[in-house]
Amino acid sequence: MKNLQIDTDLQEMFDSFLAEYSERGAGESGTLDKELWSQLEELGLLRLTGSEDKAGSGATWAEAQALITSLAKHGVRAPYAEHDLLAGWLVDELGLESGSVMTVGEIEGSEARRVPWASAADRIILIWRSGEEYLAQSFAPAELEIVNGSNNIGEPRDTVRVNDSAINGVSVAEEIVKQLRLKQAMVRAIQVSAALERALEVTIDHVTARNQFGRPLAKFQAVQHLVSDIAGESALAQAAKDTALLEAINSDWSGENLEFLVAVARSNVGHSASVVVRNAHQAHGAIGTTIEHELHKSTRAALAWRGEYGSVASWDALVMDRSRAAGSDGLWNLIAS
Amino acid sequence: MSKVTSLVPPVSLPDKDLSGLRQEVREFLNQQREAGNFKPYADTWLSRWDEDFSKALAAKGWLGMTLPKEYGGHGLSFNERFVVSEELLAQGAPVAAHWIADRQIIPNLLRYGTPEQKDKYLPAIARGESYFGIGMSEPDSGSDLASVRTKATKVDGGWSITGTKVWTSGGHKAHAFIVLARSAPQDTTNRHAGLSQYLVEFAQEGVEVRPIVSMNGEHHFNEIFLTDVFVPDNMVVGEIGEGWQQVNSELSFERSGPERVLSTFPLLAATIDEINAGRLASSSNLGRLIARVTALRNMSAAIADALQHGKPADVAAAVSKVMGTTTEGDIADEIDLLVGDESGVSDEFRELLNWSIDQRPGFTIRGGTNEILRGVVARGLGLR
Repeated sequence: MKNLQIDTDLQEMFDSFLAEYSERGAGESGTLDKELWSQLEELGLLRLTGSEDKAGSGATWAEAQALITSLAKHGVRAPYAEHDLLAGWLVDELGLESGSVMTVGEIEGSEARRVPWASAADRIILIWRSGEEYLAQSFAPAELEIVNGSNNIGEPRDTVRVNDSAINGVSVAEEIVKQLRLKQAMVRAIQVSAALERALEVTIDHVTARNQFGRPLAKFQAVQHLVSDIAGESALAQAAKDTALLEAINSDWSGENLEFLVAVARSNVGHSASVVVRNAHQAHGAIGTTIEHELHKSTRAALAWRGEYGSVASWDALVMDRSRAAGSDGLWNLIAS
Repeated sequence: MSKVTSLVPPVSLPDKDLSGLRQEVREFLNQQREAGNFKPYADTWLSRWDEDFSKALAAKGWLGMTLPKEYGGHGLSFNERFVVSEELLAQGAPVAAHWIADRQIIPNLLRYGTPEQKDKYLPAIARGESYFGIGMSEPDSGSDLASVRTKATKVDGGWSITGTKVWTSGGHKAHAFIVLARSAPQDTTNRHAGLSQYLVEFAQEGVEVRPIVSMNGEHHFNEIFLTDVFVPDNMVVGEIGEGWQQVNSELSFERSGPERVLSTFPLLAATIDEINAGRLASSSNLGRLIARVTALRNMSAAIADALQHGKPADVAAAVSKVMGTTTEGDIADEIDLLVGDESGVSDEFRELLNWSIDQRPGFTIRGGTNEILRGVVARGLGLR
C-alpha cells in the first residue's frame, strides 16, 4: 500500500524555502508573487506531480500534499495546487495548451464563478457541460472577460466569462470531471487541515509565553482544555483527510468509496475548523484578532477554504445521502471498509 | 515533524487481508441474530451480559485473540482483535460478560502476572468462562485515583485487604477483579507510591457485593465491600508498590478501543431506517455525525495498530476517547432532537433511543473523565 510519507530532505527543503518567504511577508497579498513563483519553478516544484517526460518532477500527491501543507502553514499564498494538481493534470490528460500560471474553472450558466487565481493566470482551463457531454478548453486571458473577486483572505476568486465565438472545446470523459471535483475538494481539505495544525502550534506558543496572574496561561486548566480540544480536532481533521488521500492515491482516484471518504474529510475539516478557530482566538485574547499577530493567517484561511468547492453543509448532506442509500444494514460497511 | 503528527499515529486504509475475518464475523452475527440469540442494542459492552454468547464467540476463537497460544489464546494481532471488536459493537451484540477480561485483564496479566496467575485465569478467559470486573474507583476516589484508601496489610503468607470499591460493572456476575489498594502509607511527596494490585475473587470470604441501580432502573454497577479479605502472596499482580505504574501502562488499551465511539452505533443505524421509511425527517447534522464517527473509527484503528507495534499511545488514546465518547453521546442526543410525539417511530425504536440517552452521561465519565483526559492531552502537548 502506498503511504503519505515523503523524503525528509524534501520536507526540509519545502519548510526552509517557505519560511524565508513567510518571514519576508511576501506572498500574503492577493497578487501572485512573481519572485516566489519563479523560485518554485527553478526548484522544480511548479509541476511537482507532472510526468518527467513532460518536464514535470514526477512526484506524487504525497509530496504535493506536503508542499501545500507547508505553503499553508507558512501563510504563503500561491496557486501551486491549482497550477499543478488541477490545471496541470487536466492539460496533460486532455492535451490542452499549458501555461506558466494555470487554473481551472467550471462554467455554469453563462460564467464560471469564483475561479481561483484566474486574474493571475496566463492559461485558464474551463470546463462546461454541452448536451450529454463535458467539454474543456484552454484560454488565454485575452479571450476572456475576467471580473476580479476574492475570498476572505484576499486570494483571487474571479468571475470568468467566455465570448461564444471563442469556444472550441475538446470532449472530456465524465470520469475525468468527477476526478477533478474530488481533487479540488481534496486540495482544500489539505489546506484547511494544515491551517488547523498551524493554529494549534501558534496557540501553544502563545499560551506558554504569555503570563497572567503570575504564571503562563498554559498552567490554567481552562486554557489547557481549550488547547486540548484544538489538538484533538486538528488531529481528527488530519486523520479524515489522510484516509481520503490514501484511498485516492491507492485507487488512482477511482476508488468506489472515494467520494464518500472525501465528503467525510471535508465534513470533518470543516467542523473541526469551527472549534479550532473559536478556541485558538479565545486562548489568544484580543491580540489574536489584530493584523499584526499571525494567528489570523491560519484561522481566517481555514474558514475561507472550508467553504470552497462545496460548503461544509453540502458535504454533510452527501454523507447523509450515501448513508441513506446504504440503509441500516449497509451503513457500517460504508464506514468500515 | 509537526506537533499534531506526533499526537496521534498515522491512519491507514482497512487491511484487505482482514476482510475475510470481517466477513466471517458478520456471517456469525447474522446467524446469531436470526436464531434469536440476541437483539441489537446500544452500549452492549457495559449492559448486555450473555454468557452463552461469550462462549459462542470463544468457540469461534474471538476471545483471547492477542493472547499467545500457550495460554489458550490465538496469537493474533491487535488489528485482528480490532476488526472483531468493532463488528460486534456495530451490530450491538451482547458482549459485556467477557469485555473487561478480554480487553484489560489479558494484557495486564500477560505483562505483570506470575506463571501461576496466567495459567489460572488466561485460558479460562479465552474459553469465555472467566469474567472480570475493575476494582479501581472508591467512594472518595473517582478521578483522583491516587487517593484510594483501600488498605492492604501484610500478614503471614499474604495480604489482608479492607476497603470499598465502587462502579464495578458486572461485579454481581463476574468471577474476579483486580483491586488497587494502598500497601504502604501515603507519601505526601510521592502520591503515586505505595499502591499495589491484588487479584480478588468475588466468592472469597469477606467480599460483599451490593448493587448500585442506575437512574433508568438497570443494574450494571456495584459497590464492593472488602473486609479483612485474605489475598495470598501468589495473587499479588506485579510488584508491591508498583500499582500506579501498572494501572497506567495499560490505559491505552482501555481508552482507545472502538467501544469509545460505537456505543450508540446500533441506534444510529436504526435511525437511518426510520428516516428512509419516512417516519423521521432527514438531518444533515446526522451526516456530520456519521462523518465524524468514520474519522474517529479510523483514528481508533490507527491506535490499535500503534499498540500492535509496541508504540506508546497514551496521549493518542486520550485524544481518541475524549472525542469518541463525546460524539457517541452527541449521536444519541441528535436523534433525540429529531423524535417527538408526532414521530411515527415504533415503540421499540423509542425504547432504544431512551436507553441510549440514559446511558449517555456515562460515556464521558467511565474510564477516565474527559476532563482528566484533556489534562493528559495538555501534558502531551507540553503545557503542564
